[in-house]
Amino acid sequence: MLRQALILSTQREYAQTMRSSLLQVNEKMLVNIETDALRAMQLAPQQYDLILLDALLDVMDGLQLLQFIKNQSPTTKFVVVSDTSEESARAVAYQSGADFFIERPHSPETLHLAVEAIKALFKSGQVSGALPQDIGEPPASLADIVQTHCLSGDSILLMVRGSQQSGDIFIYRGDVYHAQYPGCGGENAFRDMIRWDNGRVRIKTVKLQQAPPRTIEISYRQLIGTMERPEDVVPEVEQVSGDLFTVASKVSPDTSALAVMKEAPPREEPLPASRIFFPDPAFSPRGNTPLPQVNSHWRISLSGDLMEGTQVAEPDRCAFITAFIYRKMADVAVALEVEYFNTMTLLGPHLQQVLVADNVGVRHAVFDVPWTNEAKRTQYVTWCCEQSL
Amino acid sequence: MNKVFEKIALIPGLTAAAFVADGGELVGWCANSVISPANLCFIAETCRSVLSANRAEQREAHTGIVAFGSNTLIFRQGETGLFVAYLDSPVDDAVLDWFFGQVNPLLQEEGIRLG
Repeated sequence: MLRQALILSTQREYAQTMRSSLLQVNEKMLVNIETDALRAMQLAPQQYDLILLDALLDVMDGLQLLQFIKNQSPTTKFVVVSDTSEESARAVAYQSGADFFIERPHSPETLHLAVEAIKALFKSGQVSGALPQDIGEPPASLADIVQTHCLSGDSILLMVRGSQQSGDIFIYRGDVYHAQYPGCGGENAFRDMIRWDNGRVRIKTVKLQQAPPRTIEISYRQLIGTMERPEDVVPEVEQVSGDLFTVASKVSPDTSALAVMKEAPPREEPLPASRIFFPDPAFSPRGNTPLPQVNSHWRISLSGDLMEGTQVAEPDRCAFITAFIYRKMADVAVALEVEYFNTMTLLGPHLQQVLVADNVGVRHAVFDVPWTNEAKRTQYVTWCCEQSL
Repeated sequence: MNKVFEKIALIPGLTAAAFVADGGELVGWCANSVISPANLCFIAETCRSVLSANRAEQREAHTGIVAFGSNTLIFRQGETGLFVAYLDSPVDDAVLDWFFGQVNPLLQEEGIRLG
């Protein structure tokens, strides 16, 4: 079923026209447009049933991009749009993993034919559907996938998308470190997510470079095992119309103690002093900001690597959270159909944070509330812009 | 709730706004034709995950201001959900205060309190 599509093209006018045509097929469909190939690499392709991408993009070969994202989302259908109909171009597209190849439509008639061909892709069953059950094979459950990655000692982020909501599971060196979805975090989130849609969810995996925040202390075997052990389910017997019905308790004894953990909780252990550096000599000294009010500051590349920083406690975590926020805001930018964010300010009771993004990376500064104000945040943004220049 | 968002829609510069409950339910919304309610829900959930991740890192935040060119996305965590608004102008602290000075009394009519 075609529910969500992405049009990846540098030709915005064509993209808008194609989107209008796709919406005529199904007005409830969500069709996003992305014009920047590098930014498209930050998106989660697994959320899309269909990705229409140009064979040639401004900054990179669309077919290279296809190979990159096809690996992340094998169930998504990829349609390559080319300005040429040459057989060699068609062959290369299919070799790169395209499910279909079309010449860019330039008239209403050819556009109609292209859309009909795309519709046929989803009707014919020639290509696997968006969800595992569409391909008629028994899908691996989320629990199985988690177990496989844990057994392999992987460090990955599983971006899980169910029919109702989406969330993230962080596995680091074979252990489940953290799970979260809107409104819930930790073990509760993990247990809930494992049950979403009976485990038949869409998953994107992203390799983790750094240790994520840890909110789950028990091993994955305990996590998954306690969910499967029948003694954890305390039956509750209801008598209705003289018949006995056994109803599983909604809260197992193991999870009841965690019921208060509605959000990913703060880490309780203090930061080891040895991990705080002022600054780390391994980083470029250019990372020093002239702003005394900045509590700490760092910069990551768009691939999430820490490039420089000052007064950064736990650099790995800092880089990770910045990359996480950047990726999330990339998703928002696509939903809003705008360019990626320039600046982001997060206001809290004790800290204020400013993120400044450009084409090469993201700078992130933390300010202590008592010693900052808008002028100082603006001064930091200005400094970041000067560094970019 | 619809009447509240009808009033919120009249705030100058506002393109879209929504309040999404902690369970993910779209409680109220207003938008021009460009932004769908489903997208507003998605945006709110994404913003909530950013706040949640920051909380996990002991950098608690309740409000976010994100500049997308000359447009601005604002989100603020409330007691029962997250409020998001998309404006067609830059936002500084004075505008932020002014904006929530408009929004808060309207949301409070429906018992919604933002942080």
